[in-house]
Amino acid sequence: MWLLLFQFIASSKGISIFKEMSFASLLTEYTTRPNIWDEMCAQGEIRKHYQLFFDSLSQVAPAELAHKDELAKKLFMSQGITFTVYSDGEGIEKIFPFDIIPRIITAAEWQHIEAGIKQRIKALNIFLKDIYHDQFIIKDGIMPASLVHSCPNFLREMVDVDVPFNIYTHISGIDLIRDSDGSFYVLEDNLRTPSGVSYMLENRNMTYRVFPGLLPRNNVRSVKDYPDLLLKNLLSISNRQKSNPTVVLLTPGIFNSAYFEHTTLARLMGVELVEGRDLVVDNAKVYMKTTAGLKQVDIIYRRVDDDFVDPLVFNPNSILGVSGLYYAYRMGNVAIVNAPGNGVADDKAIYPFVPDMIKYYLNEEPILKTVPTYAMDNTEHFNHVFDNIGKMVIKKTNESGGYGMLMGSACTEQQVIDYKKEVEKNPRQFIAQPIISLSSVPCFINNKIQPRHVDLRPFALYGPQGIEIVPGGLTRVALREGSLVVNSSQGGGSKDTWILS
Amino acid sequence: MLSRVADAVFWMARYMERTDNVLRVLRTNYIASQDEIQNFDWQLWIDGLGATAQKSDTKLAYRDALYQLLLNKENDNAVLTNIVRARENARSVQDYVTKEVWQCMNDYYHLIREKHTEYLILHGDPVTAFDNLLRESTLFYGTVDITMNRGEGYTFLSLGKYMERMLRSLDILELKIKELEKQNNELVQWKYLLYSLSGYEFHTKFYRSALSTENVIHQIIMNVQFPHSVLYCLLQVERYFKRLDTISLPEHFKEMEFLLGRAVSNLRYGAPAQPSVKNIMPLIESTRKEIKSLSQKLATLYFGYS
Repeated sequence: MWLLLFQFIASSKGISIFKEMSFASLLTEYTTRPNIWDEMCAQGEIRKHYQLFFDSLSQVAPAELAHKDELAKKLFMSQGITFTVYSDGEGIEKIFPFDIIPRIITAAEWQHIEAGIKQRIKALNIFLKDIYHDQFIIKDGIMPASLVHSCPNFLREMVDVDVPFNIYTHISGIDLIRDSDGSFYVLEDNLRTPSGVSYMLENRNMTYRVFPGLLPRNNVRSVKDYPDLLLKNLLSISNRQKSNPTVVLLTPGIFNSAYFEHTTLARLMGVELVEGRDLVVDNAKVYMKTTAGLKQVDIIYRRVDDDFVDPLVFNPNSILGVSGLYYAYRMGNVAIVNAPGNGVADDKAIYPFVPDMIKYYLNEEPILKTVPTYAMDNTEHFNHVFDNIGKMVIKKTNESGGYGMLMGSACTEQQVIDYKKEVEKNPRQFIAQPIISLSSVPCFINNKIQPRHVDLRPFALYGPQGIEIVPGGLTRVALREGSLVVNSSQGGGSKDTWILS
Repeated sequence: MLSRVADAVFWMARYMERTDNVLRVLRTNYIASQDEIQNFDWQLWIDGLGATAQKSDTKLAYRDALYQLLLNKENDNAVLTNIVRARENARSVQDYVTKEVWQCMNDYYHLIREKHTEYLILHGDPVTAFDNLLRESTLFYGTVDITMNRGEGYTFLSLGKYMERMLRSLDILELKIKELEKQNNELVQWKYLLYSLSGYEFHTKFYRSALSTENVIHQIIMNVQFPHSVLYCLLQVERYFKRLDTISLPEHFKEMEFLLGRAVSNLRYGAPAQPSVKNIMPLIESTRKEIKSLSQKLATLYFGYS
């Protein structure tokens, strides 16, 4: 059902004719699509939790909104919240597109999400401990051994390594989507080096510049605690008997597209931001090179992938990491966050087994739903998927960022044939899922309020005291009309996410 | 403090100081070339400020010269290139300099890349462009002053700033002397030199006499009240360096301390009693050499260069 919002705004709200007119024209384009959960309106009504914000928004003239949009862009630029594309020595500054209209989630919804994510992280963490030690889950026949051992991110180097407090997934980002009935699904787990948390923080800073007064009026919960919680967790996993352990954040360097995030986190936590060349390993201890000589490092929050952490153990062609780091880690002289080898747990082929993990390890029913997933090395599944390709999306099990994906609903026949050949070559590296129509939220695009599809990535922090999730997250938006791909590398943007209290 | 970070902070300060100095000199030169000094020789300044891009036999028009010295990306020593380098250094130590300092550098960068700035320089009033840019530069110094903590980072930043300023003062004095060889208007030239170092008013108050070569050279080399004088800067370097005493490895500190002390003495007691255009050149040479070796020593001992 296509609906025009302005009809009922005019009737139900006691706002002046002038504002009504101007805002109505803004909203005429807000036509929700059928079979899609729109988070702002249902059957022609504004949902209750959007009402307060919506009323405030209707006080703002359209030209004013455009002005606010411009202000946000300027602020991002002058604050250097950018990523840089290097082409000719001097980089080209780009901002990660930001949409000024916040996305609102109710307290009840958040409670559900929070419980679901905690449960999931707990199970995945036990899974990692199990898979690198006794492998009960395989012995008890819950998961096939071949699946684990064919995963390229299963690190044999991690087998029988004891990690501090048995925590592997110190920082994780769980991607959630909402189906047409509004229920939350987990789309994927990010347990390696999930990024985007700085945008959660910066988007909030932008909101109070763009919409002064709205945050307190709507009782939005703060996300400011994140750096403190993270630092507290990092400090508490130090192995050294020392009152003030040294934490560093290891970045690949200024050419990395997430460099802004690395500097932000280092600054907010007050820890050193180091590159591989700043560190050196001596006698199985890690040191950083300072103006006063070498200083021992206790905890490394690394934003460098497993493969690049230590050229002596992993990829020998990389200088992003530190030679000997892995040995120091195994000796227990330094903690690495997140633990290496987590890739085996967020592999997309392992993903369908997570509900079983939750039942097996925790004896609980999964709180969050999982998208049905077809393993492409199963002939039956394979045929089913290609018979119904129009409703399917095929993904590579170890790619992220929306690369190497085939959306069955939006491709040519030739693309399907080519992709099928690829899949046949190495079916283990592919999975297929029915296309889920992501929920939509209002966005301000081309001077109009229009619905766009979004997902949600809350960030969970796992420390010795348990799992904590800052009330908020990164809402990623597919800015192109009708698009379901939210990745920033594929034309996605982001918006502030409000969790109401 | 990480050696790499100290290095980047040091160089950020050097590039910023260089930018500020070059802008002030160019602003003064531009004004001089418009009014008092006929046939201003821009080529001399292009060569002197190390513009690598253009060598032409024909006489350079002022707009072209300004473009080369300010905006030409191909020119390794253009102001734009300096700002880009300062910012890249700041970017790699964003967690160390304050957020305010980083934003300030960022605004500076966006300003010089603005189309309007280019328009002013190439077609409009270049003085407005200079003033806009210099305002950002001044903001940078102020922001550093009121937001940076007085720890190691600030020390290395100050070391970079004063070392660069000394070198600039020496270079500009030398260039002026070269310019004088071709033109015979000594007093006018000295006046503009002092303008470009913001030292003309001070000169009239301090020396209480008409401009003279001897006094001008004294002011630029030896006057400890003049913030652009070589001796003043060197004493500042010495002062800031002493703050590193407690955090340094003792042998490193001693080595640097000795070299600094010697440089101060050489300047103080090695300068000619009655400086002139002729007898000051050897001192400029030797002092420059000494500062450069100081900077290199700092890199070896503190920034982990081997």
